Amino acid sequence: MINNAHLHNRAAFGVSVVASNLKTGKELFKNNTQNKPLQVVVKPELDLQDMKSLSAEDRKKIFQKSRKQVLELNVAWLQQMTDPQVALREKMTFFWHDHFACRTQVAFLAQQLNNTIRKHALGSFKNLLMAVSKDPAMLQFLNNQQNKKDSPNENFAREVMELFTLGRGNYTEEDIKNAARAFTGWASNPLTGEFVFRERVHDAGQKIFKGKSGNFSGEEIIDMLLDDPQTATFITTKIWNYFVSQEVQDQEVIKSLAKDFYNSGYDIEKLMMQIFQSEWFYELRFVGNRIKSPVELLTGIQLHTAGRFQDELSPLFIQRTLSQVLFYPPNVGGWPQGKEWIDSSSLTFRLSLPGILLRNESTDIQAKDDGDVNNLINQPRKSTVTFSVNWSLLANRFASGGSEENLEAVEQFLLMRPTSKDNKTMISRFAAAGSNETEFIQRAFTAYMSLPEYQLN
Amino acid sequence: MSTRRDFLRQSALATAGTMLIPGFLKAFDGNTLLPDHKKLVVIQLSGGNDGLNTIIPYRNDLYYKMRPKLAINSATVLKAGDELGFHPALSKLNRLYDQGYLGVINNVGYPNPDRSHFRSMDIWHTASNSDEYWQTGWLGRYLDSQCNHCSTGHQAIEIDDVLGLALKGGQQKGMAVRNPKKLHDTLKRDLFQQLSMQQEHDEPMVSYLYKSLAETVSSADYIYSKSTIAKSKVTYPDSEFANRLKTIAQLINSGIDTRVYYASLSGFDTHVNQANSHERLLLTYGEAVDSFVTDLEQHNNFESVMIMTFSEFGRRVVQNASGGTDHGTANNLLLINKSLKQRGFINETPDLEKLDSGDLIHTVDFRSIYATLLDHWLGADADMILGNKFSRLGFV
Repeated sequence: MINNAHLHNRAAFGVSVVASNLKTGKELFKNNTQNKPLQVVVKPELDLQDMKSLSAEDRKKIFQKSRKQVLELNVAWLQQMTDPQVALREKMTFFWHDHFACRTQVAFLAQQLNNTIRKHALGSFKNLLMAVSKDPAMLQFLNNQQNKKDSPNENFAREVMELFTLGRGNYTEEDIKNAARAFTGWASNPLTGEFVFRERVHDAGQKIFKGKSGNFSGEEIIDMLLDDPQTATFITTKIWNYFVSQEVQDQEVIKSLAKDFYNSGYDIEKLMMQIFQSEWFYELRFVGNRIKSPVELLTGIQLHTAGRFQDELSPLFIQRTLSQVLFYPPNVGGWPQGKEWIDSSSLTFRLSLPGILLRNESTDIQAKDDGDVNNLINQPRKSTVTFSVNWSLLANRFASGGSEENLEAVEQFLLMRPTSKDNKTMISRFAAAGSNETEFIQRAFTAYMSLPEYQLN
Repeated sequence: MSTRRDFLRQSALATAGTMLIPGFLKAFDGNTLLPDHKKLVVIQLSGGNDGLNTIIPYRNDLYYKMRPKLAINSATVLKAGDELGFHPALSKLNRLYDQGYLGVINNVGYPNPDRSHFRSMDIWHTASNSDEYWQTGWLGRYLDSQCNHCSTGHQAIEIDDVLGLALKGGQQKGMAVRNPKKLHDTLKRDLFQQLSMQQEHDEPMVSYLYKSLAETVSSADYIYSKSTIAKSKVTYPDSEFANRLKTIAQLINSGIDTRVYYASLSGFDTHVNQANSHERLLLTYGEAVDSFVTDLEQHNNFESVMIMTFSEFGRRVVQNASGGTDHGTANNLLLINKSLKQRGFINETPDLEKLDSGDLIHTVDFRSIYATLLDHWLGADADMILGNKFSRLGFV
């Protein structure tokens, strides 16, 4: 049976409590033409030429402002993830944000890369890869500014192959050396935040790459990486792990998906449609057993309750405590996945989070400091979390029948797997302590969301 | 020697009736870390501690030339060796030095150093090369190697609310506990108590989460019940960091079977007006460590505890224009233990003449220190855990 909630968990950020009926896979894809770029940072605020003439104090202010804007971007994006109009595109953007992990202190560049990814998120992986590889934030992050004819820096070339296309073990050290030479001169103009090719530092000599020789350019290297079906296999496997299952890998299906992906010229939308409109995707073995990443947990709670944070620091504090801050991947390898998210303290906090958000339970949790005095994300060491939900709206939808019936409806809405009898009894007792219908629903929501099953989608 | 089953039985008795042992935990018998009295305490100075203003080359003219405002006046340096001495705020560390309890390894780092906080910390946490990205921490992999199938996370404890990468292994993870009582109280709530008693589910991932929760509840219970056994007679200074070390002492002195502890002190990213803030941090560090060592000594546990203090990088030799210092590379690393085989200033002093773009050049790979600790102190297979062979040092 086609379970649209499952579709929305995986292809979007969950099911909205205000959506009257769930879109089918077909409808979801029909909508994806919409693209809402983030528009938090208006123009490049860092003009490096002018910067030199500024006082240290003024320069500091500009950096501070930029760092603050990265946090604003974070909050704006988190908000946009719950927008049903663009849910599929945002989920794909989130996936690629992890795949093409990058950090920059310059808010405009962070926004630019994010919007580039958003634009190509469902398009051709060829275009996406080329655009990201020529993105100023990425080139800086992977040190390609320092990659010059006379002193090559291999970092960018290595990550393009190891993380973006082929995966470890599918290239040689010689391939990296030669590709690095081809990428010399790929840089960005700090004034405009645009890609520039610096011919003077480019090594135009002959290279041997993947068994072929020629005076390859960076573009040609990327084309050759795309010509290798291993890139399709690597990307398809990663998409499978992320959207279908990390635990169960159906090699036959992955192989055929990868083949189709390659033959389609790397059409991402087609690949995702194939997955989400297949029958196997809805088999029980793939439903309700994937651990939500912190951002998915957070957006899921927002969608399930139609609740909103009342301040900007609260969602940042929660992201930090659960170790997933948008725009701050832990390293170029991206975020962990699945069981890696779970340890004793993260699990305790995840299960306490509904109480904190929905019932204003206090917390004295201190998020970790990353050591960087200039990183504003470190500043709210403690936080009171403010989150507001219109409970009477939810009561209208879920408190229309008898209490048992109502609890059943809440459970079906929130959990992909039914919970135990003992838990149902416990929750029913807890909810019954509410003095009216609204409180009953508030308590039922909090309790069901505090179950380990709610950590899964 | 008590087995895992014994302690579960004991902790169940200790909290009679409030906590039932889930069936799957009962099935485990032994298979935890071998009980050994040796313990490792890792202290992380987050932000990049200025090693040159911690252990000061007070006879080096270059030091004074490159830091005209920031250098510590040689008259106030607590002189320990012919060339090196302590920052005046570190009189307590100086005491440990005089007693032969302190070992300082200079010029510790790794090839192709990274000057970004998060990246360099990542490298220290995972023990990877600087061009590799590993998802597990060195102490987490130590847990993996030691406790196959063992069922609790308290074999390694980080005194914090959030578990850092260093203690995350592939299968095993340490446990973050800032305050044993608070964690215990949080988990004492009906919800957690009831959930922790369930284990059988059709879906393995659901079972996994319930099992993780049950282990957390059981470990938190064990840690809390044990943590009140020892009473400290030492008055610790009034700081969050001192509190964290006090918690560690409490756990060690109470005889809990944890092998590795981890605590952090942050604020070392001193780009601006470094002098005052750095002095305050060193004072906080030195006083807390002093109380900690005294506490361990009073309970005859100092011999079995090795304390290692590190930072993700040192700072640029030349001061900057804002009365501070910028990110550097190689740094000193401190070891504290009652019977170090090498003590004092173990290797050569930093060479301020031969710099790499203004930064100290490392001569000791930090993974040699990890390897020595894993092998010679914790009795583990260092080469396997670090995925590489690093030479061993002689301090253990």
